[in-house]
Amino acid sequence: MGLLSLLRKLRPSPEKEARILLLGLDNAGKTTILKQLASEDIATVTPTAGFNIKSVAADGFKLNVWDIGGQWKIRPYWKNYFANTDVLIYVIDCTDRERLKETSRELFELLMDNRLKQVPLLVFANKQDLPNALTASEVAEAAQLVRLEERTWQIMGCSAVDGTGIKEGMDWVCKNMKK
Amino acid sequence: MFLFDWILGRILPVIFLHLRPFIKWFLHTFTRLSELQRIVYGAQAGASRTRKVERSLMLSQNIEIQQLLQELDTAVESCSDNELILLPVRAISVVQHAKHIKSKIHPDFTPLFGTCVLQIWSYRHLLHQVERLRAEPYDANNLVHEQKLLELWNRLMPEEPLEGRITKQWQEIGFQGDDPKTDFRGMGLLGLENLLYFSREYRDAAHHVLLHSKHPVYGYTFAIVGINLTAMAYRLLKSGDAKVHFYNAAQALNQPCTLMHFHKFYCYLLFEFDRFWMESEPTNIMDFRDIYQRFEILIMEALHNDKTLFKTNLIVEEV
Repeated sequence: MGLLSLLRKLRPSPEKEARILLLGLDNAGKTTILKQLASEDIATVTPTAGFNIKSVAADGFKLNVWDIGGQWKIRPYWKNYFANTDVLIYVIDCTDRERLKETSRELFELLMDNRLKQVPLLVFANKQDLPNALTASEVAEAAQLVRLEERTWQIMGCSAVDGTGIKEGMDWVCKNMKK
Repeated sequence: MFLFDWILGRILPVIFLHLRPFIKWFLHTFTRLSELQRIVYGAQAGASRTRKVERSLMLSQNIEIQQLLQELDTAVESCSDNELILLPVRAISVVQHAKHIKSKIHPDFTPLFGTCVLQIWSYRHLLHQVERLRAEPYDANNLVHEQKLLELWNRLMPEEPLEGRITKQWQEIGFQGDDPKTDFRGMGLLGLENLLYFSREYRDAAHHVLLHSKHPVYGYTFAIVGINLTAMAYRLLKSGDAKVHFYNAAQALNQPCTLMHFHKFYCYLLFEFDRFWMESEPTNIMDFRDIYQRFEILIMEALHNDKTLFKTNLIVEEV
């Protein structure tokens, strides 16, 4: 055994990598959640043209989180990022009542894709810090999430700006990671 | 190699910091000039001189000068433009006293040093102004904000009237949906003021860029990209990387750094980004992150050169 391979053996085994896809309509709070996960400043977030990506360490996993812009012009490109996704996180702005139907329609449409068939889904019901926000269960009902049936899924209230609920959500993500 | 880098990066600065007083004492005895005088007389006017003066002042162990720095930093948090112009007078008198510089013997020192002081603290003053604008969120219930938004539309699309406040038309100038109010996000009013300045003061350039943004293949969302460039301009200003350009601009125009200079810096970035984007022949908007990052590196590299002064007379080349 050469010295190099010995050294390689001594090194701790590289942590498991996982690919997390972060989707949702524009202004849902995807980039703020991403920055919150990476412990970065969230005060200077701008609308995402294209996508952002960050690697975050959690529970022995190296999570590669892809945050894709949510405006309708970008949505046709979402499918380019579906392959090899381990967990899908879908973010909903709970104060945007007018677009609840739209966000629900987009969600069910993307879930029809074969590449996302076995993928666990976490729905973040974001902006719970705002007074006029719908609760997570109200959103689940309005977006008809019961139709998800066989998929492993969970909805969780959160506030991306103060971080409430984000950690709980990510714990669920790590536990239900696609094997 | 590692050891060498380590010595260069870690040890040398520490040694230098401890040797500095001796070197200064030696040079002072030898040249009979204080460090500030040697810089002011020796270094080229603009960023080169002003940054050396700034560094010398920041490293000063003289109590009087340290108090002066605090006083100036506090003053620029909220002072008016008129009060700002008076700061060099105060700085000169303190430094003359602390460093025993007699204006009769060194008449040139006063104006040259004063210019540096004005550049340094007008930049810091500008930083506070910009931060206040950024921190003011866009508010659809604020009539002033709304008027600015409508003015942006009218300047960019003078031939097409807006059919309503909430309309899909906003997407024509590159907002995300039918109401731009949520698109300014963390850049707040600064993002809007930047775009508005570009469309108002650089009409031809703005229309040129807007036209590019509607290109069938290389098209992008004009306003959203514009707001992301506000973020870049803000970052470069805050990190201090932009000092080179601002000090040189202030020197060339014989003015302090003002909000107008920030707007012009922004317009330069947006105009040049558009050119860079088109030249990169992107596949689609998903290439934005990569091209944006490469562009920022180019700008940072340019700002590493003390002579850099971005040309803010944006000229649209007719084809």
